[in-house]
Amino acid sequence: MLDVQVQNLVKQYADIKAIDGISFSVNEGEVFAFLGPNGAGKTTTVEILECLRSFTKGSVFVCGYDITKEKDVKEIKKNIGVLPQDFNALDKLTVKENIELIADMYDRHLKTGDVIKLLDLEDKANAKFEDLSGGLKQRVGIAAALVSDPKLVFLDEPTTGLDPKARRDVWDVLANLKKTGKTVFLTTHYMEEAQVLATRIAVVNKGKIAAMGSPQELIDEYGGLKILIIRKADESLASKLDGKFEHVTMNSNGDIHVKIDNTDELYSIMSFLTAMKAEKDIEIQTPTLEDVFLKITGSKISEEGEAR
Amino acid sequence: MRFIAIFKAVTKNWLRSRTGLFFSIMFPIMMLFIFGSIFGGSNYVPTMTAAFIMTNGIIGLTSTNTEFKRRGIIRRLSITPLTKIDWVLGCILSQTLLNLLLTGIMIGIGWAAFGIRVIPDPLTILMIFFGSVMFSGIGMALSGSIKDVEAASAIGNVISYPMMFLSGVFVPLSIMPSTMQAISKFIPLTYFSNGLKASIITKSIDSILVNMGVVAALAVVFIVIGVLLTRWKEK
Repeated sequence: MLDVQVQNLVKQYADIKAIDGISFSVNEGEVFAFLGPNGAGKTTTVEILECLRSFTKGSVFVCGYDITKEKDVKEIKKNIGVLPQDFNALDKLTVKENIELIADMYDRHLKTGDVIKLLDLEDKANAKFEDLSGGLKQRVGIAAALVSDPKLVFLDEPTTGLDPKARRDVWDVLANLKKTGKTVFLTTHYMEEAQVLATRIAVVNKGKIAAMGSPQELIDEYGGLKILIIRKADESLASKLDGKFEHVTMNSNGDIHVKIDNTDELYSIMSFLTAMKAEKDIEIQTPTLEDVFLKITGSKISEEGEAR
Repeated sequence: MRFIAIFKAVTKNWLRSRTGLFFSIMFPIMMLFIFGSIFGGSNYVPTMTAAFIMTNGIIGLTSTNTEFKRRGIIRRLSITPLTKIDWVLGCILSQTLLNLLLTGIMIGIGWAAFGIRVIPDPLTILMIFFGSVMFSGIGMALSGSIKDVEAASAIGNVISYPMMFLSGVFVPLSIMPSTMQAISKFIPLTYFSNGLKASIITKSIDSILVNMGVVAALAVVFIVIGVLLTRWKEK
C-alpha cells in the first residue's frame, strides 16, 4: 500500500518553478525523508501533500485519496498528523490544553495523557506553551501531530533551530515513532538526521529529486571510495605505497590517504603494511551522505540549511 | 461541536493574557470616565457600549486573529478536520462572551463611580449579543482576508472611526447635515447604538425590535461573509 503517490508534480510561481516535475511514492510504514537545502522545494511539496497549498500540474494521492477532490481532502485530514515548519500553539494555554484542542478536532483520538507520556512531557503538562524551550515546543508539536493516531505523519524540519542536545532528544522520540509502524514523511537539511531516521531518502535540489534510495544505497552509489588514513607517517612509506597502489596522497599533517576501491584492495594494503611493520595509527573513513550530496549537487549544506 | 472547543481555547487564552485583558477593560472605562465627566447622566452608556463592542470586534478580534495567522496557529488548525464555520463561530462566540463580561464591568463601574443606575434587561443582553456577533463577524471577515498584523489594525481603525462619528455615537445625529444623516442609515453601528438606546433608555419596544432585527440580520450576513473570506489554502 502506498501512502503517498506523486507524479510529475509541478509548482510554478510567477517566474520560478519551485517544484519541477517530481515523482515519488512513500510506502506504508516507512520513514521517508526529503533531504535538501533551503529553497529546494521541500516545504512546498509537503504543504501540497497536506492540502495547504495549490499546485500547477501533476497528480497527488495521499492515503489513497486525490488531493484535488474536496471530499477526498476531508478524508486526508482525518488520516494525517502534521508538525508544520515553525510550529506554534496558543501561548497562554498549557501543554495539555493545546494538545487537547487539537484532539478535539477529531472524532476519534488517543488519550492526551498517553501522548504526553509518549513524548515525555508529563513534567511540563501544566506549563504554559510560552514558557517552554524550543525543544519542548517541538515535542508538543509532535504530540499534537500524533494525538489523532494518524496513519501518516508529516514532520517538516522537526529539529531546525534546536541546539544539539534538544535535537538528539527529538531524534529519540522519532526513533520510537518509527517502531510504532506509522508512515513518516520527514523533511530536513541535516544529513545526520536523514541518515539516523530515514529508511529511504530523496535528495532534492532546485525543485527536482536528484537521487533516491536507502541511506546505504545512496552512499554505495554516490558516496565514492572509502579512504584508509595512516596518521603521522613518513614520506618513505608514502612513496612505497604510491609505487604499489593507486590514489595515494599525503597531506601537510603527515597523514597518508589511500582511496580504496574494494575489500580485496583493503586486504592487500593491510598485508603490505603488516609486512612493512609500519606500526601506525590507522583509520578507515567511509563516505557519508554529505559526500553523496556533494557528489550529486556539487554543493554542501550549511548548518542553517543554505547550499554553498 | 468543534466550535465549542475553539470557543473554550480562544477564550481561555484571552482571559490569561493580562495586557490584552487590561486594555480591553480600560478602554470602555476610560470612555465612560471621559464622557461621564463631560456630560454626566446615563444617556451615553448605550452609545459607549456600542462603540467599544464595535472596536473589540473590528480592531481587537482582527488583530488577535491576524496574529494567530502570523504565528501559524490557524494554519495548524486548518490541517485538522476543523471547518471554517466552526472556526468563525468559535471565535465570534468567544468575543461575544468577553463583550458581555466587559459590559457588566463597565456598568458596575458606572454604578459605583458615577451613580449611573442602569440595569440591563434580557432585551438589552440580547441586543448586545447580536451586536457583538455582528461586529465580530466583520472582524472575522477582515482577518480572514488580511495577511499582516499592522495592516489589520490599520484597516480596523479606518473602518471603525468614521463609523463612530457617522452613527451618532459621539455627536448626536440630529445636529448633523442631512447628507450625514442619510449616510448614517447605511452604517451597522447606527442600528446597534439606536437599539441599545431604545432598550436601556427609552424602552420603546418598536424601536428595539426594528433595530434588533436589522442587527441580527446583519450578524448572519457577516458570519457568512466571514466564512467565505476565510482563506486557508495558499497559492
